[in-house]
Amino acid sequence: MYFEVHQPWRLRRFSILHPDPTHHYFDDDKNAQILRKVAEKCYLPANRTMLELIERYQGKFRISYSITGVALEQMRAFAPEVLQSFQDLAKTGCVEFIAETYHHTLAAVYDEAEFQSQVFAHNALMAELFDAKPRVFRNTELIYSDRIGQLAADMGYIGVIAEGVDDILQWRSPNYLYEVAGRPQTALLLKNYRLSDDVAFRFSNRGWADFPLTSDKFASWVHQVNGNGDTVNLFMDYETFGEHQWADTGIFDFLRHLPEAIFRDSNWSFATPSEVITSTEKRAELSFHRITSWADVDRDLTAWQGNEMQQRALHEAFGLRDVVLKHGDPGITAAWRQILTSDHFYYMCTKWFADGDVHAYFSPYESPYEAFMNYMNVLNDLRVVLGLEPLRR
Amino acid sequence: MRIAMLGWEYPPHISGGLGTASEGLSRALAQMGHEITFVLPHLYGGEDAPHMRLLDTTTGVLVESDGTRSVPDPEKFSASAQEILELQTRIGAYSYSRFHDLLECSQFGDGADFEELRCAIVARAKALAHALGCGDSDAPYGADIFEEVDRFAAQVVLRISMGQLNAGNRSAANFGVGDFDVIHAHDWMTFPAAVALKSLTGKPLVVHIHSLEFDRSGDAVNHRIHQIEGLGIRFADRVIAVSHYTASILRQQHTVAADRVTVVHNGVYPQQVQQSYRRQGGWHSQMVLFLGRVTFQKGPDYFVEAAAKALPLLKDVVFVVAGVGDMLPQLQRRVHELGIAEHFRFPGFLRGAEVEEMFSLADLYVMPSVSEPFGISALEAINYDTPVIMSKQTGVSEVVGHALKVDFWDVDRLAEMMVNALRYPELRRDMINMAREELRRVRWESAAIKTDLVYRELDQNRSVTGLINGGEVTMSRIVRLV
Repeated sequence: MYFEVHQPWRLRRFSILHPDPTHHYFDDDKNAQILRKVAEKCYLPANRTMLELIERYQGKFRISYSITGVALEQMRAFAPEVLQSFQDLAKTGCVEFIAETYHHTLAAVYDEAEFQSQVFAHNALMAELFDAKPRVFRNTELIYSDRIGQLAADMGYIGVIAEGVDDILQWRSPNYLYEVAGRPQTALLLKNYRLSDDVAFRFSNRGWADFPLTSDKFASWVHQVNGNGDTVNLFMDYETFGEHQWADTGIFDFLRHLPEAIFRDSNWSFATPSEVITSTEKRAELSFHRITSWADVDRDLTAWQGNEMQQRALHEAFGLRDVVLKHGDPGITAAWRQILTSDHFYYMCTKWFADGDVHAYFSPYESPYEAFMNYMNVLNDLRVVLGLEPLRR
Repeated sequence: MRIAMLGWEYPPHISGGLGTASEGLSRALAQMGHEITFVLPHLYGGEDAPHMRLLDTTTGVLVESDGTRSVPDPEKFSASAQEILELQTRIGAYSYSRFHDLLECSQFGDGADFEELRCAIVARAKALAHALGCGDSDAPYGADIFEEVDRFAAQVVLRISMGQLNAGNRSAANFGVGDFDVIHAHDWMTFPAAVALKSLTGKPLVVHIHSLEFDRSGDAVNHRIHQIEGLGIRFADRVIAVSHYTASILRQQHTVAADRVTVVHNGVYPQQVQQSYRRQGGWHSQMVLFLGRVTFQKGPDYFVEAAAKALPLLKDVVFVVAGVGDMLPQLQRRVHELGIAEHFRFPGFLRGAEVEEMFSLADLYVMPSVSEPFGISALEAINYDTPVIMSKQTGVSEVVGHALKVDFWDVDRLAEMMVNALRYPELRRDMINMAREELRRVRWESAAIKTDLVYRELDQNRSVTGLINGGEVTMSRIVRLV
């Protein structure tokens, strides 16, 4: 089981009529408030439950996290007890930390040099905070292509995690270990999205035929994979526990009883990604002919770069790299990378907006257009700071 | 069903969205099989309504759906000259103020006293004598709107007595009065006529609220108009509001049970953008458009203030205020005062092709209304591929998600939106592409389906009977009644 832990630095409303002379771009109050709320509902109780299970099963319950640098920055600033609880989990030796881009960006697609910088930065943070050296890589929102797999392989990772996308897998099963195309030494772990989404999305859905989902029922589905696979990779947003599925849905009880239900079949145990990779044989090379992700039904990049606003914003933002690095101010560099975080572009997604679905739910803006305008206002101010735009009175 | 639809204007001679909505809704209702006679004070020629019959109450001209025009034939008129004279005389005997006394008392309600009703009708019909004598009038909004409204009510009574007002498929000559199933009245100007018609025939009444006096005037509400609105709403069997926004104001302004009110959003018919309107070479300025009545309700002053704030951040932009209204002189003064006159154009009132051209040319349409029950022009702008900034105080914002939305008073925010929208063509293109998609769902067909449901829910067998219910209605019977 692997969990994504991420919080973007949400932008404040940035005015072009009255630009902030301090060039501060982030909504500190809102970010603090959201982080504390999620800590209360999810991070703290979920971490407590995980620690409890690790202690109870004495090393047999093993999990992994991919925690973004920007989330860790905010924990440090707004809820240090959350950081401490992750550090406590790290000390058990039953938790693996996975590598990714520090700022949770689309750099892998837009700027490979920047991509490497961000992965290195994340590595350094893992070492600093958790004394960990990640061996397995996963990219932002499971964005993956052969090229991205190769980049990760060439940076020394023994494996990469990607979405088990139907049109890529075709007749194949996500429950085996594959090879990164062109890098036979590097393993490819695929998310079993059906079983993962049963928990992450459908757990509390009363309209679902399998409602209510019990630990036993879920474990029996996992056990059915016997003979048809070597591993079931359950990847989900950590906020599944307590935030997307509230505590009163029984999600924590589900988690608490899951290990004993899984252990009921002795063929099954818990392992971290690197343990799966080192103990399992790779079956075949799997090539991704398109860039995939775990987002929406499309499993592509349209949530971040599907419309013209997103493309322009991404292009302009990544295009500032040389000027930012040459300018050299660490504060400006940090701010620039924080506004590269993929969420800012996700908020500009128009494709499902009017239906008021998940995109709208997660957005701090009233509309994707507001998201774009505010982002461009910030970007414009950054250009002023960098001397690319004249300063207006 | 057969519908007597009372309206105030009809394209192409319109002063605002009411005429456009009357056309859109009636077309879609006719498509569903409803037979409509659309009754209004004046026809000007050029009306294109092959889906229904139009009745000009002033001249009595009846335009059939195939375009044939007929005028009332005195020979077939069931009243004698003696009867008409008698009617005029008797009407004249009643005090004009009687009707207003009744309004003041606000005694009307469900199952209202018919004695009082009769008095009300009589008071309405007082103007009949005047109408019989005076023929036409130039403007739909005359010097005294109340006189116009009274005259319309009286004329409707006259036309029904002459056998002209019906919605059946029999020819007008053989037609019985009140031969329709539903009265559908658009906005307060038609309510006295609608109430008179309902009282006479006992047919169920649907009043359709496109705009309330509160929207037009804010706190400076005209008491008389407010009362006439209340009269129509109280007499109505069902009330249709053009938005949830309007329904909520309706509930604040008038006593009306929630289950009598149905929200039916306006629609729009898709239109082909006239490429020929697209700008010719040599014109590089961007254009921001305000189009509508230049009155308090439409918030043109916020448009000007926002433009002044946006201008320093823009180059080469023209702001167009298209329309007329009582705020126009004040607006023009303000533009000079702000020193931005060179960026402003005031082309006055536009109609038909001029409107299409203006929408096609604009890069951005701004609707900063203070209180807009619907705001059909926003849909028209989208139809012409022009993205929209609309105030949140509009009904149309309930059906269009892909627009920029701002509180009308937030001038800074509006200015920033103008700047951003002009600065980033990507924003405009994404917005208009999505909005056009969205518009496919904002159809008059869906409005007609909802309206049809309202008709079906009307209880045709209500205990209320009209004054002339049953039997042939002739002028002599009406004369006897009054």
